[in-house]
Amino acid sequence: MKKRSDLTAPILSAIFMGLGQIIVLKQYIKGILLALIEVLVLLNTGTIAKAIEGLITLGEPKPHLPVAQRDNSTFMMLDGLIAVVVVIIVAIIYLYNILDARKTAKIYLKTGILPSRKNGLSAIGEKAFAYFALSPAFVMLAFFVVIPLVFAILIAFTNYSAPNHIPPNNTIDWVGFETFREMLSLKQYSQGFARTAIWTFVWALLSTTTCYFGGMFLALALLDKKIKIAGVFRTIFILPYAIPGMISLFMWAILLNGQFGPITRAFRELGIISWLQKTGILQKDIIPWLSDPLLAKIMLILVNLWLGFPYFMLMITGIMTSMRQDIFEAALIDGASKFQQFKYITFPLLMYQTMPLFIMSFSYNMNNFAGVYFLTNGNPPDTITTQSFAGTTDTLITWMYKLTLDQRLYNKASVVALIMFLVVAPFALYNFAQTKSFKEGEL
Amino acid sequence: MKKALTVVRYFFVYLMLIILSFIVLYPIAFTISGAFNKGKSLFQMNVLPIPSNPTTEHFTELFTKTNYLNWYKNSFIIAVCNMLMTTVLVMITAYIFSRYRFALKKPMLMSFLILQMFPSTIGMIAIYVILNRFGLTDNLFGLILVYTAGNIPYNTWLLKGYFDTIPKSIDEAAKVDGAGNLTTFFRIILPNTLPMVAFLAVTSFTQPWMDFILPRFILRSDKNKTLAVGLFEMINGRSNDNFTQFAAGALLIAVPFVILFVINQKYLVRIMSAGAVKE
Repeated sequence: MKKRSDLTAPILSAIFMGLGQIIVLKQYIKGILLALIEVLVLLNTGTIAKAIEGLITLGEPKPHLPVAQRDNSTFMMLDGLIAVVVVIIVAIIYLYNILDARKTAKIYLKTGILPSRKNGLSAIGEKAFAYFALSPAFVMLAFFVVIPLVFAILIAFTNYSAPNHIPPNNTIDWVGFETFREMLSLKQYSQGFARTAIWTFVWALLSTTTCYFGGMFLALALLDKKIKIAGVFRTIFILPYAIPGMISLFMWAILLNGQFGPITRAFRELGIISWLQKTGILQKDIIPWLSDPLLAKIMLILVNLWLGFPYFMLMITGIMTSMRQDIFEAALIDGASKFQQFKYITFPLLMYQTMPLFIMSFSYNMNNFAGVYFLTNGNPPDTITTQSFAGTTDTLITWMYKLTLDQRLYNKASVVALIMFLVVAPFALYNFAQTKSFKEGEL
Repeated sequence: MKKALTVVRYFFVYLMLIILSFIVLYPIAFTISGAFNKGKSLFQMNVLPIPSNPTTEHFTELFTKTNYLNWYKNSFIIAVCNMLMTTVLVMITAYIFSRYRFALKKPMLMSFLILQMFPSTIGMIAIYVILNRFGLTDNLFGLILVYTAGNIPYNTWLLKGYFDTIPKSIDEAAKVDGAGNLTTFFRIILPNTLPMVAFLAVTSFTQPWMDFILPRFILRSDKNKTLAVGLFEMINGRSNDNFTQFAAGALLIAVPFVILFVINQKYLVRIMSAGAVKE
């Protein structure tokens, strides 16, 4: 035994999983488990190969068969993906199996002691328990987070769309970059795309900064000790945060109704509308709060401010109350005015501390579906991009929603999703790099 | 002179606070008065939020003529199941990551961090296909599975961070005294992190109430509708002729939320500033 080089075990394990562990290293339980996995995989080779083949072909159209018996391309794609994931996991286990055999064999050669069976067992028990306890979470993540993401990317390269390519009636096919090419060359899509992407960015930037500074302003105003009943005001200002956002947005859509809404009527009764009609700014007896492209955008930002400032107000109140007070006392002794205190101490400190939250809020607003959809529905439309279903106030996410649910153009929706991801990823990565665990390298 | 200036300044501060309070309160008051206003249309409402001919008929109609109660029930079931499953799964996962050593732990944690950056809407077509494959479309349980899975990455990080703050020496001591893994978890880890676990439970309970895209996409039949979808259909495109009933329905959702938030104000302030960079 001793003369064998430390390569025997890993080579045996490479030939058949677990073999090295069983024969050379006497790790029976581990070896048998590994061997069992290989047996299972070998027994199912046919199924796996067929699923992967399905992923490549996506099925043949069989119009003569009843619908239930035709090839369902989306299911084939899904099964194929699951098979690929299984293959990858098995490959990782296979690699682990070889590396583990090599490591244990090295230790054995150096010390001449086989891994004690008792120790080995309890260590295996600990590890096995860890994997066992993690498995429900991992299975769920695989099915509802990881596979959907990959699936979404793949759909962008197919013709999965209404009316001619919707399983189970018809099959879908791989079309490469055709959908991308189409969206770039058709004017209604390329224009809709450019406008939506720019507006998404502007919307995220403006809605985050207005809420941030609005919230900061109120937090600081209410922390002034000379303000009486600050608590009452603060409770009032929390209300927009407490009411579910969707309800508030519907409420505002109603308030801003251009004809019957109470705000329009108040303007009318005050004579503002007739005055605006005289000066020629308004043509009709209505105010197009949500039906004029520019005014609708302004209203979106303002309503979002109404909904969003309490979050930053609460957050900054929390940070301010836990800030060290000695700097402020020192500044006071040095004769700094209130404004100087704010400019040189409070503001830089707050900016530094809230930067990650600001970025987080920015990337949240990029994907803020409710804030746009429930107030304007993406409307008003314009003449060219109406054929691509993108309204003037649509953001990427609401556009994607319309393409998916209303139009069933899944391939185009996936292209939008892909680009959306490319836009959001840098911010997400920046935030990731900022996290404490990443910086300290501990995880 | 200086004193006069201060008085003027505070006058303006108060004036601004009062105007802002009005802007915050007006839409809320208008909706409340709408819920009690006679008639159906927006046109019949007073501009000032005072109901004319107050009535509670919209509430009775909500319960007798619409499926409101059924929507409420569905949303409640989803919320409770999501809370239980998320809390249990995340607690287990976070505990394992915090206390056990095993191969591939680091790559797993990294992938969690990356996964929590993607909004689940990107994969919604695939989620539909997957649920369809397992016969779980138009099924509350399917939606709950999707919510719970989406909650795992971020919340595992959150809770793992909290579990890490409890020194490992304490559970080693407990193990020396003969406590098993389960006892250590329930007697030592859980009591010490209860506030954070409670926060997780509350957020996963409130999360599904007003979520719209996924239920709209997954739950197709009328009997499985959630509150968000039901309310949307009640008001979308019909704001003029169905306003008062919507207002009544909205009020019944908003009231519990407002009470919950106002009571927990102080707690909220602390949790929210937790994400800031420490000095």
